[in-house]
Amino acid sequence: MIFQTPILALLLVSLLASLVAVWSGWFGLRVLARWNLASGSRAQLQMERLTELVSTLFRFVMLAELVALLLFVFNADRMASLFVGAMCAVGTLNVNPYGFPALYAKIAVFFAAAVWLMLDRADRMGRDFPLTRVKYVALVGIAPLVLLSAGLELTYFLNLRTDVITSCCSKLFTPVNPNLAAELSGLSPGAALWLLGGSGAAVVLAGAGALIRRRGAQGFALAGAVLFGVAIAAIISVVSSYIYEHPNHHCPFCILKPEYGYYGYALYGPLFAGTALALSAGVLQGFARVPSLTGVLPALIRRQIWLSLGAFALFGVAVIWAIVRSQLILFG
Amino acid sequence: MTPFLRRQRALADYTLAALARRRGKNLALVVIFSVIVFVVASAMLFSAALQREADLVLAEAPELIVQQLVLGRQDLIAETEIAKLTAIRGVTAAKGRLWGYFYDRISGANYTVMVPDDPAMMPEPGTVAVGEGIPRARGFTFAQAPLFLSRWPGELQKFAVARTFDSDSALVSSDLVLMAESDFRRFFEVPPGVYTDIAVSIRNPREIATIVEKATRAMPAARFVTRDDIARTYQKLFSWREGLLVALAGAAILAFAIFAAEKASGLSAEEAREIGVLKAIGWDSSDVIAMKLWEGALIAIGAFLIGTVAAYLHVFGTGAALFAPVLKGWSVIYPDFRLAPQIDGMQLTALFLITVVPYVAATLVPIWRAASADPDQIMR
Amino acid sequence: MISLQSVSKLYNEGRPNEVQALRDIDLEIAPRAVTVFKGPSGSGKTTLLSIVGCMARPSTGRVFVDGQMVSGLPEKFLTEQRRTTFGFVFQRFNLIRGLSVLENVMLPAVPLGPDHAALRRRALDRLEQLGLGAKADMKVEYLSGGETQRAAIARALINDARILIADEPTANLDTELTHRFLEIVAALRDEGRTVIMTSHDPRIWEADMVNAVIEMQDGRISGAFA
Repeated sequence: MIFQTPILALLLVSLLASLVAVWSGWFGLRVLARWNLASGSRAQLQMERLTELVSTLFRFVMLAELVALLLFVFNADRMASLFVGAMCAVGTLNVNPYGFPALYAKIAVFFAAAVWLMLDRADRMGRDFPLTRVKYVALVGIAPLVLLSAGLELTYFLNLRTDVITSCCSKLFTPVNPNLAAELSGLSPGAALWLLGGSGAAVVLAGAGALIRRRGAQGFALAGAVLFGVAIAAIISVVSSYIYEHPNHHCPFCILKPEYGYYGYALYGPLFAGTALALSAGVLQGFARVPSLTGVLPALIRRQIWLSLGAFALFGVAVIWAIVRSQLILFG
Repeated sequence: MTPFLRRQRALADYTLAALARRRGKNLALVVIFSVIVFVVASAMLFSAALQREADLVLAEAPELIVQQLVLGRQDLIAETEIAKLTAIRGVTAAKGRLWGYFYDRISGANYTVMVPDDPAMMPEPGTVAVGEGIPRARGFTFAQAPLFLSRWPGELQKFAVARTFDSDSALVSSDLVLMAESDFRRFFEVPPGVYTDIAVSIRNPREIATIVEKATRAMPAARFVTRDDIARTYQKLFSWREGLLVALAGAAILAFAIFAAEKASGLSAEEAREIGVLKAIGWDSSDVIAMKLWEGALIAIGAFLIGTVAAYLHVFGTGAALFAPVLKGWSVIYPDFRLAPQIDGMQLTALFLITVVPYVAATLVPIWRAASADPDQIMR
Repeated sequence: MISLQSVSKLYNEGRPNEVQALRDIDLEIAPRAVTVFKGPSGSGKTTLLSIVGCMARPSTGRVFVDGQMVSGLPEKFLTEQRRTTFGFVFQRFNLIRGLSVLENVMLPAVPLGPDHAALRRRALDRLEQLGLGAKADMKVEYLSGGETQRAAIARALINDARILIADEPTANLDTELTHRFLEIVAALRDEGRTVIMTSHDPRIWEADMVNAVIEMQDGRISGAFA
């Protein structure tokens, strides 16, 4: 264990998130058993008021978790100098086998919570709280994920040993190693850019389709999820190289460093926001026919699609700008 | 402005008016909260600044230091070893260094005595250059006072002070005494042909590992300390001390969170009536919660700014007068210096999470409880 | 138009201090008219007023406002309904001390996120109409009883409520101020608004401009006059 303020702050946020997850999961079970909007009883009224508390707590915790996700990566990068062999966040996260799973769990919590908050929002637009059951089934599912994420993070920090020799990004993200990271870095730049362009076009088509036909946001969500995966692969394979101006540097974390003008945030911020909005638009589409939501939900979905497309467009601009201003020439 | 923003603005307006009306209660909250932020922020800023000082010093240190080990302890190293090191490919230079500690019984302080590498820094025989801490420790009253060093009772050696270093990197140099090589060997009775250790310069930092490996084979009895090792040790030490202080402050944060929760749940009759009125005239629970969150946010942000700015002034203005003994380490000669102001986003983020998040978390449930008042209770 | 069908209200249900405040009430309240609930204290008229005004949900029974059932709505939507349809004047007026008259009048509009300048203008117009224009920036605790009531009426109407609800509006007023109040009520009715009041003040239910009086006893309606 390394005793450091950022680590303490991260653990604190995880602890709070876990408390909220456990309590609201338990409350969710109670809602599923006893929710009856037709009843004018005090118990039902109290339960309705408690849903307000759950929503407030969840929003607060997720905001804190979002900041914590940034801090987690930033801190990993900063701590690299503590570990032999680590040059950036990759080395720090590789110090023990829990680092990357903790990061992935945090990202999963981010997407799950974003979708849940949108579900919550839609539910509160309908006069009969039509999605309450769905929402709390989802919450009961998310609670273990939050706990898992907190557990992984705690295990990771407890097992940070500075005497471990870890590997730096230049070892992980090289085509010669037989692992996924290496395969992603080995993806040829041309193919990666074509894939990125293709899935970007698919997102635009699916989005335009959903906006025009006023349905089919699920397809848009799927396209957004694919774009997310392809975009990460493309960042590793080619975009990062342009930013580093070095054909063999493929790290998806070093671009977050000040040396590279924090360029990574311009890439990841819109990418994550766009994906989260696309996913929630897709999920909400499933409820567009609920009678009390038919008047309001389609407008919300359309707005999410527009915002999502806007975020993806920002991501696209960031990618193109990275390529254009780079001194590195990979083609021609 | 969208209705959402206009609503937030109207809520904030109302909150400001409400805060102004209950100045006493909120002032107490802000003051206590600021003090806590101040303590945590001072610890963080100070240890980060120390860390940076150490990095600055280390930036000029040699990439690799070779020490001779005898019985597991460091011993003097023979000049002949230098040739073994320069023979390794990738080594730019290897130089013997002479340095040691001297306990000054007069001031009760430990000095670091060194022969400088840099010929420009080398004092004339019979003179020394000293760090700024030494004239202070010895209570020199005039600038040209000579330095007398006594190795055992009754013995006294006189050195003229050629120059005193200023405080640029005072943390490491304040207790420093630079001597000419001949003076050093005579003063400490070090025979010729041996050194304290050997400093090795290496052109490409990526080759350090390989060079250490080769050198270990050539000199099995030696110990090799790289600059990165030292930097790591420093960083661990500083961040550990900072963490310890923050964890101690954690108890204070917890106490404050309980205090804040208590304040938030123990609504005065006046305040409870006010919320009742708001609910009766058409505010929803979520409106009351939003209003109360504005209140919490204004208090938290106010206290955060006050505490952070005060900590900044404390650390970079007064050299962290309050914490220096804990964070710098225990030494008779405290460096007297100003830290270079420096602050970054990560520190602020961590500080924000560790102080504001517990406060908000502690007040959320009481806020919700207050907001869940029955709207018709005002009529009963 | 408001109608209640077999509405009952229990307070503290399931506890030893359970109270049945309303029993099986059926009632229709005409629009654009002045209706008064009268009866001794404890007869349930204030509870009835709070259910009519969407402040509380009935324990059983249904409530319709303009043909829409509101009795099963979650609190959030009940509140939405309330703040757009109803304006309230309370017995003790319940203005918030320490704020100016104008700020108090603007309060009910805050959750709607209105345009600030337009809202301010609307509030000032309303205060002007009620003869309080000059006191808009005064703190409410310095107002006289009649002025306080008129400020409360201005606040009740800021969201352009179609229905004004007043609980014992004249309990603290002398005869002259009561007449002034009744004039205001008549003017509001002539603007096309509905006014619903509780009162045990004969000056109120004997007034000419009252269209209906509903008499309450032990949580039941014991008589209705038009």
